[in-house]
Amino acid sequence: MPSDQLLEVEDLTTTFGTDDGTLTAVDGVDFDVDTGETVCIVGESGSGKTVATESITRIIKTPPGEIEGTVRYKGRDLLAMPESELRDIRGNEIAHIFQNPQEAMNHCYTVGWQITEALQIHQDVSDEEARAKAVDLMDRVGIANASARFDDYPHEFSGGQKQRVMIAMALVGDPDLLIADEPTTALDVTVQAQILRLLDELQEEFDMGVLFVTHDLGVVAEIADRIVVMYAGKVMERGGVLDIFDHPAHPYTQQLLECLPEFGGTTVGGIPGTLPDPHDPPDGCRFAPRCEYAEGACRAGEQPEEIEVSPGQRVSCVHYRPGMDPSVVRNDNFEPVGGDGAADGEGGVSRADD
Amino acid sequence: MTEPLLSVRDLKKHYPIRKGIFNRQVGAARAVDGISFDIERGETLGLVGESGCGKSTAASSVIRLEEPTAGEVVFNGNGRENATRNADGTHPNDVTAFDDEELKAFRRGAQMVFQDPSSSFDPRMSIGNAVGELLKIHGMSDRYRRRAIVEDLLERVGLSGNDFDRYPHEFSGGQKQRIALARALVLNPDLIIADEPVSALDVSIQAEILSLIDDLQEEFGLSLLFISHDMSVIRQICDRVAVMYLGEIVEIGPVGEIFTDPQHPYTEALLSSIPTPDPRASVGGIELKGTVPSPTNPPSGCRFHTRCHRVIQPEGVDVDQDDWRGLLNFRESVATGRVDIEQVRESLTAGGEEPTDRAIQAELREEFDIGDSIGDEDLEEAFTESVRLLLDGNAERAGQFLEERVTTPCAQTVPERTVHSPDHESACLRHEGRASAEPNPADD
Amino acid sequence: MATESPEQFDQVDWNDLSRSGRFDLSINSIGMLVTALPLALLGVYDWRFVGDRTATFEFVGLDRTLETVDFLFIFTLLLAFWYLVLPLYQNPRRTRYYWKEFKRNRPAVVSLGWLGIVFVGGIVGPLVMNAPQQELLIAYQPPVFTSVVDTTPATCVGEVINGRCHGTWQHPLGTTNAGRDVFTMIVYGMTISMQIAFITTTIVATVGITFGTLSAYAGGWVDEIMMRFTDIILSFPTFLMFLLILYIYGAGLGMFIVVFSLFAWGGTARYVRSKSLSISEEEFIKSSRISGASTYQVIRGHVVPNVASSIITQLTLLIPGFLLYEAQLAFLGIGDSTVPSWGQLIAAGRSDLSFAPWIVLAPGIVLFLTILAFNFLGDALLDALNPEAEAENA
Repeated sequence: MPSDQLLEVEDLTTTFGTDDGTLTAVDGVDFDVDTGETVCIVGESGSGKTVATESITRIIKTPPGEIEGTVRYKGRDLLAMPESELRDIRGNEIAHIFQNPQEAMNHCYTVGWQITEALQIHQDVSDEEARAKAVDLMDRVGIANASARFDDYPHEFSGGQKQRVMIAMALVGDPDLLIADEPTTALDVTVQAQILRLLDELQEEFDMGVLFVTHDLGVVAEIADRIVVMYAGKVMERGGVLDIFDHPAHPYTQQLLECLPEFGGTTVGGIPGTLPDPHDPPDGCRFAPRCEYAEGACRAGEQPEEIEVSPGQRVSCVHYRPGMDPSVVRNDNFEPVGGDGAADGEGGVSRADD
Repeated sequence: MTEPLLSVRDLKKHYPIRKGIFNRQVGAARAVDGISFDIERGETLGLVGESGCGKSTAASSVIRLEEPTAGEVVFNGNGRENATRNADGTHPNDVTAFDDEELKAFRRGAQMVFQDPSSSFDPRMSIGNAVGELLKIHGMSDRYRRRAIVEDLLERVGLSGNDFDRYPHEFSGGQKQRIALARALVLNPDLIIADEPVSALDVSIQAEILSLIDDLQEEFGLSLLFISHDMSVIRQICDRVAVMYLGEIVEIGPVGEIFTDPQHPYTEALLSSIPTPDPRASVGGIELKGTVPSPTNPPSGCRFHTRCHRVIQPEGVDVDQDDWRGLLNFRESVATGRVDIEQVRESLTAGGEEPTDRAIQAELREEFDIGDSIGDEDLEEAFTESVRLLLDGNAERAGQFLEERVTTPCAQTVPERTVHSPDHESACLRHEGRASAEPNPADD
Repeated sequence: MATESPEQFDQVDWNDLSRSGRFDLSINSIGMLVTALPLALLGVYDWRFVGDRTATFEFVGLDRTLETVDFLFIFTLLLAFWYLVLPLYQNPRRTRYYWKEFKRNRPAVVSLGWLGIVFVGGIVGPLVMNAPQQELLIAYQPPVFTSVVDTTPATCVGEVINGRCHGTWQHPLGTTNAGRDVFTMIVYGMTISMQIAFITTTIVATVGITFGTLSAYAGGWVDEIMMRFTDIILSFPTFLMFLLILYIYGAGLGMFIVVFSLFAWGGTARYVRSKSLSISEEEFIKSSRISGASTYQVIRGHVVPNVASSIITQLTLLIPGFLLYEAQLAFLGIGDSTVPSWGQLIAAGRSDLSFAPWIVLAPGIVLFLTILAFNFLGDALLDALNPEAEAENA
């Protein structure tokens, strides 16, 4: 297999030994990320999306965790790599940002100190150089008056600014891959818009691959190039952002979209049922117990193999197997109800603009 | 027209800031600074704004979880309908003046749902007892009766009566929010205040809870004060929306009108920051820069003018709006001493030789998004002159100079409420001169 | 309005209900009152009408007497039953959950078993076994399965083989220099240990929780004064104070318990205060206030239960300290020599260590095991009573 991809994850399985038996959080997941593109992993909480991304650089505690499969980064298998080598990559070439900037920062040190520390771990630079570079980074992530704020403590920053600082810390090693785990979920909508815009600009500037984890399809639509939909540790569907939004093939993806106000919202009332028990996942398709189209074939054997339904879009659903009738689940007329969704609000704004 | 269920007039909540060994009050954080709104029976009013705008404080002041500093909250539910004002102008239904007995009765008429499902239940109390606690507090001592009522209610919010004896940690976030709704409902209130009830939940669960709220509201004729920072949630559930910024309501109106025809620039900005689930829509619209200013020392005039993209230019000036915004930002930064000219010089030096004054000026223009030349001679001159003063190390003088030369009406005049259509009002100077709001009869 | 379907929340006539009386005692409180009342009457009777030399139960023909410490002990036992054991039975679901968490810790389960033996032995033992009598003739009998030179005991109860006296089941742990049976002494010592454990815990918990929550809720100057008072308590030289009392009044076991526990609640109060402050920030406290609960109801219903379960560990770890203190004082010869505590037994045997080591070793080992058991138990309780940690995974 040619490894021209930046990151290739194959058959990734992460399990945790618990008192109640083995918990399989991620169960044989494949995905890849190319330089300069943004791949979104979408799923509800408990779908294993966070564990999957944290398994890539093995920041999951092992034990109780156990990671299997291959994660090839620029052709090298990160899972087989000794810890010391991995440490050079982690936080340097592959950077992480997390959901809660409050918890990811040390409140005993100044923000500048934390950035320079992150810098000096990976690079042999003098204190002055490190400071200059840190101020430059703070400036680049949009912290006004960076040199003055360098000596401020985290509590003097607002939530959005802290997330900017976290991004600055992630950028110290000129990363080729940025893993962002729900970086905007804890923020206000207005600040979320700022951060998404910033990530977009930085991706271009640094030519990074971005692996973005979120449960919010609104955010996905804004930034993703490709989407991987996860449910209960398995991939349900994957494809380009337009494919997924225009003609979602998997019933789960469809229902996830229908939860959005613009696609139905309250009238649908969410997805009935709850996530399966990760200690004892159901046979067949993981989504079958909650799926309105489920039939006998859905509830037997393994998770169905992925079937290509359009170029680049693959779905793990029995209804697309040869000989089955995909029109049962296929709903090609997928678009916001009424068409006067938020797009209209947007329209109102632009009208007022001129 | 019938009287509203809840009528809030000029509600204020200030937190004193004390300093020194004598705890002298040196100022106050004006978390809520004079807000007024009504909620009709069966209606849902949304209260929307960024964090720090005071919307949660407003909620806890209305329900008297915190004592409001000033203002009036008239609650006409709970069998207190059709009361008339006393001779001295006070209202017998004013919640802020309730004594303990009346307050306890008021608790049966108004309840609240909180944001964080994980901390809104006592971890050592079964959820049945947590819901039944309210019945007990209000005098129902028969535990079998309590149990019957709670079990029935749990079923109505989509759980099972058998869940009575289970503990909070056995439920998911969405389920806990259902239980929180049951707890708010159990005393059969007329009004429920929901403080960001779905913000901590996944989108799919959000939809479930919102539709449950909708159903319950219809079934029991509840009024709802729904607080959220998320415009898309507001759109789904509310009849009317009040947009709050820095302790004040800047716009209030029916949800449809607010979304299609926002009148206040802040509302516009909020709307455009909603991520749209349409991959073809560009990341665009209006970007709100910076964060909400401190409520301790709110900006003069219109409080939004420091971030507004439509800030008004003075009489006789007509420059590019972006330049104007940039110039105001520059003025603000210089005045507060946040422009460090040495820092600019240093960062330019890092790129090569000693920068010229012209290069520094260009750098400043870029930093504040000011075009190469401002289309107004006076302003252009004011800008270059202030940069010269800065370069001379006379930052204070530069600040004063800019404050004299660059002015906007928005910073000087407090906007009045303007009526756009019945029920739809906003407070923005751009609408001044149109019919201003009728003084509300309840005000005087 | 007798309908088939259960009553619904929107059919309740609140105006009617809230006018009715609000005095509502739980079954636990009723039980506590009903059982504590006879005890109190007995106490008053014992204090006012029974002579110093007359046994308390003389009036029913029983030759048993109850000291102040016994009254306190029974009272704390009643408290523990109505407010600790019965709630566990009333909430089987929670009990099962705690037990499931608790039993993961094997040493703690063994410790609990051992403490159960000590507890039952301490309660039942004195009722079924006669108090150890002085019998100088059979002094220094060795424990069963061991033997000593037959010149050590005055007369050997067991067999004498080859000039060695062998122990018997009559005195499984041997006898002391006064011929008292060591096993019986140890069982009687269990009572003393349990009395120390229960009474001190009750006093420390009551004072500590009251002081801590009051201080947290009062705030301002009251809080300031209460906490400075706590500082004084914490820095008070309890031991010197005890010596002083000892020389003026002479000190019995009751005095020991009261003095030491009255100066031991400082840390608990501080902990309770900070815990109460953090709990009162939680949203469930807000929602309880919004439901119309008075401050007392909020504290009683939510703050105290949450604080209590987190100080149980701390209290459990206080007990070994008291037991050791008692033993040390006894060893130094300034304990209450009239009570058959383990410390007294050890102190009594220390001069005979060279030829009759069992007199020191047997109670020493029991004391050691008990203290170890309390420590293990405290650790396991900390994990078991913490459902929040589990909730994170939900």
